[in-house]
Amino acid sequence: MAQIDLEKVSLTFRVRQHGRISLKEFIVRRMFRRSRNPLIRVDALRDVSLHIGAGQRVGIIGHNGAGKSTLLKLLAGIYPPTKGRRLVRGRISSLFDIALGFEPDASGWENIFFRGYLQGETPRSVRAKMQPIAEFSELGDFLDMPVRYYSAGMLVRLAFSIATAVEPEILLVDEVLAVGDMSFQDKARQRMRDMMVKAELIVMVSHDLESIAKLCERGIWLDHGQVRMTGDIHDVVAAYTQHVRGTAAQAA
Amino acid sequence: MVDYFRDIWRCRFFWMSLVRMDLRTRYRRSVLGMGWSLLQPIAMTVILCTVFHQVFDIQRVDYAPYVLAGLVCWNYILGVTVQGCGSIFQGESYIRQYPAPLAIYPLRTVLGAAIHFLIALSVVVVLSWYIHGFGNLAALPSLIPTLILLLILGWSLAVLASLTTVYFQDTQHLAEVGFQLLFYATPIIYVEDMLTERRMAWLVRFNPLVTLLRLIREPILNARVPDITTFASAVAIVCIAATAAIFMLYRLQRQIIFYL
Repeated sequence: MAQIDLEKVSLTFRVRQHGRISLKEFIVRRMFRRSRNPLIRVDALRDVSLHIGAGQRVGIIGHNGAGKSTLLKLLAGIYPPTKGRRLVRGRISSLFDIALGFEPDASGWENIFFRGYLQGETPRSVRAKMQPIAEFSELGDFLDMPVRYYSAGMLVRLAFSIATAVEPEILLVDEVLAVGDMSFQDKARQRMRDMMVKAELIVMVSHDLESIAKLCERGIWLDHGQVRMTGDIHDVVAAYTQHVRGTAAQAA
Repeated sequence: MVDYFRDIWRCRFFWMSLVRMDLRTRYRRSVLGMGWSLLQPIAMTVILCTVFHQVFDIQRVDYAPYVLAGLVCWNYILGVTVQGCGSIFQGESYIRQYPAPLAIYPLRTVLGAAIHFLIALSVVVVLSWYIHGFGNLAALPSLIPTLILLLILGWSLAVLASLTTVYFQDTQHLAEVGFQLLFYATPIIYVEDMLTERRMAWLVRFNPLVTLLRLIREPILNARVPDITTFASAVAIVCIAATAAIFMLYRLQRQIIFYL
């Protein structure tokens, strides 16, 4: 059974003000004991506790920088928690940064394999899915071309087609509903709906409050890295909208 | 740790297919294919043979396979370290999406270099057959444990290099300078005796590459199985490198994503 448990999870990023340091700088700083490149701490998530059981579809909302995508990446196992405990049971499929992670010199076909393997497929299972993926992407002969020459839209089409060809237990989605051109967007939405029916557990992040209310039952409102409210999606969306309107009115 | 290796094995299709693609692009892109990437060590050998023959008046036919064996081995160690530096950055976009074990990205670099090393080494073997005949056939199987050791060493070096590069971006530059020095401190283009005769035996004793070069050269050039002490010190060297790599991976594996 798919299950997600977060227990008092905090995540702190430590960022350098001027990007990376070099070994040279590191040694020089040790000698002069003076830092011109201080570390900045960013508390991306603070004391987040969540229990999401099988069968739940959860939408995360909040302002930019509230920690929504960070939370999703933490659930996916990409970011380790700085404090607290993360427990995730079930095969995860994640849809974020999907236009990344291509081998630019390999053809579209080859990239279907690489991506598929990374998602836990075997040569046999990828071969079975290749044709459907190609058809869904509608890229046709472009698939023989190195991915380097693809347009951004074509890349997203291919990425989306591969990423949604699996049948995950846990699906993590970050704002991918707006992929490709108009006709592809409709197809993508339909595909998402199909996947959401199949997946046991879904967590999605979106600024499109209307569609998130349609797709999910439970809502989580993140504010500055903390869970501000959780409950029925319609209540959470309503409270969030009211809050945003309130701050806007105050500003005006 | 067993779990870690199991995870690496679980995504074997992924890194294996990347290695295959790397090799294909490397060998197919050029008209000369394989020969093209062997050009550097072979050209270097020809130049060195001519120069040493003409200028220093060295009359040794066995010099060519000697120096080629050295260069091929050197290029492998240099390659895994210098290319290894960029291996985690190369896999950055995958790391940002999937929590696969980090060690597979250096592994991708190492396997590519290792296969190239095998091809180059077989050229050395053929060259030595041409010059010395087939007398070394009985000693050649001793290369198998040597190659396994070199593979583990290469992987460890690439892991260390790639992790260091994530923290300090000038690592590759420093490694290149360091290797330049090491090149002349290692009996690659000259023979070990030239150092020992000049009271520089300590350079031979403390240079781990000397041991590895012996393991490669002895069976191919002298038709002798390297003695057990040479193997033992090679195992010790590899163990040290592997322990360092595992320790660093264990410490940094989870944090690395914040530095990419």
